Amino acid sequence: MTAPRTQTRSRTLLPFTLPAVGLYALLMVYPLIKTIPLSLTDSEGGPTAENVGLANYRAMLDDATLLSALGNTLVFTVVVVLAQSAIGLALAAMLRRWGGYGKALAVVLLTPALLSSLMASYIWSSLYQQDGAINSVLNAIGLGSLRQVWLAEPSTALYAIAVVHVWMSAGLAASIFAAGFRTIPEDMLEAARLDGANRWQVFWKVEWPMLAPSLTVAITLSLLGCLRVLELPLVMAKGGPANATNTLGLQIYRTVFANGEVGYGTALSVLLLAVVTILVTAANALLRRREGRLL
Amino acid sequence: MTTISKIPVGASGRTASRTARGGSARPSRGTGGPLARLAGTVLVIGFVVPFLFALSTSLRSPEDVAEHPLALPFHPTLSNFSRAISAMQYPRSVLNTVVVTGGSCVLVVVLGAMAGYALGLTTLGWSRWAYRGFMLGMGVPLFVFVAPLYLLMRDLHLLGTTIGVILIYAAMNLPVAVFFYTSFVRTIPGELGEAAQLDGAGRLRTFFAIYLPLLGPVTATLLVFVTLMVWNDLMIPLIFLQDPDQRTLMVNAYSLLDERIVRPTDLFPAALLGMAPLFVLFVLFQRRMVEGMSGGGVKG
Repeated sequence: MTAPRTQTRSRTLLPFTLPAVGLYALLMVYPLIKTIPLSLTDSEGGPTAENVGLANYRAMLDDATLLSALGNTLVFTVVVVLAQSAIGLALAAMLRRWGGYGKALAVVLLTPALLSSLMASYIWSSLYQQDGAINSVLNAIGLGSLRQVWLAEPSTALYAIAVVHVWMSAGLAASIFAAGFRTIPEDMLEAARLDGANRWQVFWKVEWPMLAPSLTVAITLSLLGCLRVLELPLVMAKGGPANATNTLGLQIYRTVFANGEVGYGTALSVLLLAVVTILVTAANALLRRREGRLL
Repeated sequence: MTTISKIPVGASGRTASRTARGGSARPSRGTGGPLARLAGTVLVIGFVVPFLFALSTSLRSPEDVAEHPLALPFHPTLSNFSRAISAMQYPRSVLNTVVVTGGSCVLVVVLGAMAGYALGLTTLGWSRWAYRGFMLGMGVPLFVFVAPLYLLMRDLHLLGTTIGVILIYAAMNLPVAVFFYTSFVRTIPGELGEAAQLDGAGRLRTFFAIYLPLLGPVTATLLVFVTLMVWNDLMIPLIFLQDPDQRTLMVNAYSLLDERIVRPTDLFPAALLGMAPLFVLFVLFQRRMVEGMSGGGVKG
């Protein structure tokens, strides 16, 4: 195949990308680029807006609600990422011993992921309420003193919501790790056992390092899902009580659509993008380096 | 062991899991024993208890539930469901959601497959940049560009239109689609297409006759992924659709929410009804669904 021919061949292909590129450029790339100039204005969505330079960004520094939203988002993310990965890994490690039966159970674990955040919120709001199932169970087993109005108590609300997120996504983490377990060559495990390694040793010395790529995928996805969280706190607690469940995503939604502060809200969007980019890139770099060391 | 594992027992994944089990079922400490199995099963059932509880409570009258929150439905009633169905305008909402979901799926698949076909076969010109551009968009949350998008939709007079919402979903899902299709097309031997071209088939014919049929499995996985994302989404229709007659299931379910009174007998049936169509799909196409949900993991 000569070079010129390949060239023609490829050029006739390019038109195939045009519809996708056009739509993507119009509705994603353009608004994304537009974010920057819009964040430098005092726009309220109307036809006119003054350029205010970096005022919106300076205003962030004095915005106590924003700082707490940032804190809530990070706490939520750390809690969920750790819990989801640990539970997913434990479930995958357990289910993989049981062959087909384990696979069937893994499918059951995925059913919460079918629910929308809204529907999951509806179920859990009911479970969490004052005379709901969780408090009733606590009462019934003699732990009545632990009863809480889970979503109305600032110290528990964020964690109560984190539980729902973990509940929805642990099955997905489990299937990511299950796929990872399947890539570990059987003779490697066999060799370790012949060397007299017990189950913990086999796990820590052989399986855990070999699962490094799965851990990268699980953590990256979990991170992306957590940093954007908005529907769960919106529906379950309206960001309250006392802003305890107000996240960055929710703060943007309210600033833009409830308060109509388009300019400031867009500056918050830029902050969200920065947070997502920095954390995901950093986590990815660390995890990939770890993969390189271990594999 | 190796020969057994090569027998095609259906999905390749299933074969691999047999191999893995073959070894790990053996270890000495009875972890694979019936007791451990029972414990594991109980644990997994614990995950679906909220569903079972929601279902059981949905079948009871509100007064009964208020009195004994944990009791079972001794006098089952469907009145909660019929109330939820009319409050959510269920048939209408489902129809609206099906239109939005279907439209988004068609656009994502057609545009994604065409682009993936081209980007998988060539690295010439700006194709590399186009691919990179798509990949950068993967995982960008809606709320990073929602305000400019809202103003743009307003200026295009697409605000409050079903087609506008479909276009947004399509654009947001294109990165995943392009990723799926490009990776897949790269695994198809180039000679296949070249042979067709030597036989005089044009670009379009090669695409439709050779590539499109091969894209079936990856399309199924993508469809599951897009369907779940669109069906379950609340924010985009909440922001971009105002007319009550156009509202999707999630928006109409959301409008039931009353912060002051959380009534399980209102919320549980709504949640179950919202999930029901997806659950049917899940049961019918279990393997595809599992692949789409976990493989779609690349999403973001």
